[in-house]
Amino acid sequence: MDATKDIARKKDISQSPELTQQGPTLTPVVDIYENNDEILLFADLAGVSKEDLTINVENDTLRLTGNRNLDAPGTAYFEEFCGCNFHREFSLPQGIDVERVNAELKDGLLKLHMPKSAALKPRQIEIKAE
Amino acid sequence: MWTSLNEFDRMFQNMDLLRRRMDRLFPETERGWAGWPVMAEVNKWPRINFYDAGDSLQFYAEMPGLSEKDISVKLQGDFLEISGELKSQAPEGYSVHRIEREAKSFARSFSLPVQVERDNIKATLKNGILSLSLPKAESAKPKQITINPA
Repeated sequence: MDATKDIARKKDISQSPELTQQGPTLTPVVDIYENNDEILLFADLAGVSKEDLTINVENDTLRLTGNRNLDAPGTAYFEEFCGCNFHREFSLPQGIDVERVNAELKDGLLKLHMPKSAALKPRQIEIKAE
Repeated sequence: MWTSLNEFDRMFQNMDLLRRRMDRLFPETERGWAGWPVMAEVNKWPRINFYDAGDSLQFYAEMPGLSEKDISVKLQGDFLEISGELKSQAPEGYSVHRIEREAKSFARSFSLPVQVERDNIKATLKNGILSLSLPKAESAKPKQITINPA
């Protein structure tokens, strides 16, 4: 179930896709890491496949939208998670290189790489002795 | 002051009573440590859906980011246990802005309401959802009973 490719990098001003599912909207949990070259985001999206996920980077906002459907074969003894929509938004610092954003969705875990453009990378400023 | 403490006590006793009544809605399906019923706040990860599909029992567990080697599913008699470890996936050399997914080990166990055929159990992991299909033993399947006219 490997899915290593660019998912959706929309830069237009479209709205989030219309929600055709009933069901609650949940906020997926995320981990955010950063190093000199990129910002890295992990998101828990169990049950969401590539086709059901949209990643939108526009105007310094990152928007994750997805949905999942679950089988419900028969009567339930108990149900602790449900088919639902996912949605979460983040503000990004200026200077993310949108062209090079890439994402991987595997085993329900989204790994989103957001490389920094040269302007955002830390730069040592040389002090000239006078 | 002593009277107001009493009020609190009574309030908490009522809440305990309510909680005990609600715990009894799910009797014996979940065993915690040493057989005591599990508290609601503890040990509810990963989340699980449990269905009776007529001929089989179906379990679904929500476990994003885990692969087959991180999960262990064990059946002992009528007792099913799902356990494993979610390892921290912090990459090397990165500073951390935010962690909402903690590394942890988990174990949830259930006593199954019916007998199942041990040799035909199917488990698949897709998109972070573990599906377990436990076919019921013949004697436990629903059986249509014909009514004979007298």
